[in-house]
Amino acid sequence: MSTEAERPRVRMAAIVSGLSAGWLERAAIWVVLLALLGVAALFSDAFVQPIYLFNMVRQAAPVGMAAIGVTLVMVMGGVDLSVGAVISLAAVVAAVLMDGQAGNIGYALAATLTIGAAIGFANGVLIAWNRASPFILTLGTAVAVYGLTQIYSGGTARGIVAPGFREFFNQRIGGLVPVLALLFLAAASLAVLVQRTTRFGRSLYLVGSNPGAARLAGLHGARLTVATYTLSGLLAALGGITLLARSGVSSTFAGRGFEFDALAAVVLGGTTFEGGRGGVGGTVAGLLVLFVAFNLVNILGLNYNTQRVVAGVIIIVASAAYTLLTSRR
Amino acid sequence: MKIRPTAICAALMVIVAALPLTSLAQGVETARVQETVTTARFKKAAPYRVGVAAGYLSNSWVVFCLQHIRYEASRHKEISEVLVTDAGFNPGKQVADIEDLISKNVNLILYWPVDEKAIQPALEKAVAKGIPTVNTGGGFTYGPGTVANAFIDQVVLGDMVARQLFKDMRGKGRIIAMLPIAGTTAAVDQLAALRTAIKEFPQIELLSAEYGDWNRAKAKQITENLLQRHPRIDGVFSPAGQMSIGVAEAFEEAGRLKEVVMSPGDEYNGWLKWVTKHGRGGAVTFPTRVGQEAVRLGLRILNGEPVKRGLTVPSEYISPASISRYVEPKRPDDWWASTLPEEWKPK
Repeated sequence: MSTEAERPRVRMAAIVSGLSAGWLERAAIWVVLLALLGVAALFSDAFVQPIYLFNMVRQAAPVGMAAIGVTLVMVMGGVDLSVGAVISLAAVVAAVLMDGQAGNIGYALAATLTIGAAIGFANGVLIAWNRASPFILTLGTAVAVYGLTQIYSGGTARGIVAPGFREFFNQRIGGLVPVLALLFLAAASLAVLVQRTTRFGRSLYLVGSNPGAARLAGLHGARLTVATYTLSGLLAALGGITLLARSGVSSTFAGRGFEFDALAAVVLGGTTFEGGRGGVGGTVAGLLVLFVAFNLVNILGLNYNTQRVVAGVIIIVASAAYTLLTSRR
Repeated sequence: MKIRPTAICAALMVIVAALPLTSLAQGVETARVQETVTTARFKKAAPYRVGVAAGYLSNSWVVFCLQHIRYEASRHKEISEVLVTDAGFNPGKQVADIEDLISKNVNLILYWPVDEKAIQPALEKAVAKGIPTVNTGGGFTYGPGTVANAFIDQVVLGDMVARQLFKDMRGKGRIIAMLPIAGTTAAVDQLAALRTAIKEFPQIELLSAEYGDWNRAKAKQITENLLQRHPRIDGVFSPAGQMSIGVAEAFEEAGRLKEVVMSPGDEYNGWLKWVTKHGRGGAVTFPTRVGQEAVRLGLRILNGEPVKRGLTVPSEYISPASISRYVEPKRPDDWWASTLPEEWKPK
């Protein structure tokens, strides 16, 4: 038992311990990422070249944009499986509306983002007022949106990207940082700021960790749900535009599977399906872990099937290391 | 219930690792292709209802192929109707689609499979009821459920692409290969053709064979890594134009486009635009008119004429100098040079 004199010291130790535990939890995935980059650098000096690292961020940008939205939804206790379909639709719609004319870019991007937000809004409304399972509902939305994309496009990605659009987003600022990478990092930073400093961001954590308490605290869960899913749809549409900018449009299913990449990044980054935990910062690190893993096995020159095995093992080890770090607090 | 990241990743890993096991590819066997099929038992009087059991209709090549089918059908008064089903990559649905077409009393079924083995019983049922089946597209099938094939020989295509590349490289240098989805007929046959052709060119070295899944973004990402791994790459074997664009972009962004010889791609419009702009590469065609040939082949079967088990629709080489006759600059990238009349092209 501590004496009166010892109590402040004990209290301080508890605070320091709590702070370091919280810091460790947030930083764990970054520690894993740095360790993985260190290992990767032993095999290829590409992983210490800023130009290559920024290019990797550019590669990750389309999935990353969607993953930001999925993170916010999952912090609130939901899930959004429609992001891959929205990415596909957005890439096709943006190209069709551009129609090869530079003057159409602004209108095409605004309309595409509106469509993405509208799909997210519909998800949010149905989940908030119908009490539908987000998993099943957004899966249904994905199926419907893929169908709509096929109807709209007739099976060919029939749009023509406007001149200057891809050139602008792929140029490197200072010969180093691609605009697309910068755009993604800016979006992620903004999301981190929102989740940490705004009432909206803090509300997501409260609703995710204890919906009953959130209700008693006067938070309007339904409005928050609609707003968050709308944001997720908007960010997925931004992911589609990012994909179009990075590699042009070559199919009507360009975003297929991205929903699972986004989910993997979010969960690896520490956001749980129960909600109330994690955040966008961790998702960015989780996303980069995935891309370092896939790029490393590619650079190593392993044969195709070995690449898949090794990439999978790297992800599992990274995930296990993360769990180990965060459970030691 | 709390789901740990490890569990999610482990589940994803199992799914990812299982994918290559679905490989169904086989090479084309000349004797079987040349085999004569007697078709007297399929002979019927017109009018004919033609069923198309599409495994999928969501890529531009099959959309064009289907338009060729419709166009050819419109040229034959004896064809009264074309019924099209879309399985959307679902083998179970394709089985149901074929059974549905049988129950609608179609006289001929053209199909391209999602999973060849999964739909065999349904195809055999059609044949047993006197409905001939024609496999249409990029693969050859030999089995009781398939009466004949109208197909593009991917081994020949791969060989043409490889030899043109080696010629353009003057017979020496280090190359990479960009192939479609691992395990598909296209990937297996094209790689086999490349490996066979390379034996005649001892100064050609295959550095790496990669799978870009017909995905421009993935092909670009893989190439960005290959450029890191190999300080010198002299040539790229990439028969699929939509991936060739991604590969070429990666070389261009790395400032290394001048060092490399691009192989011919196919007649994908985005690639044809690239060839037009850069004056190199060319194309070896993967003709969408195979759909038209399938209709003609089906009509011969319905007339009771003996046919070969496999009707090969030949690929042709188009040099960069001749590409202007095929490219459509005002059309989307995701478009195909074809012999379709303007009014029959996809809208």
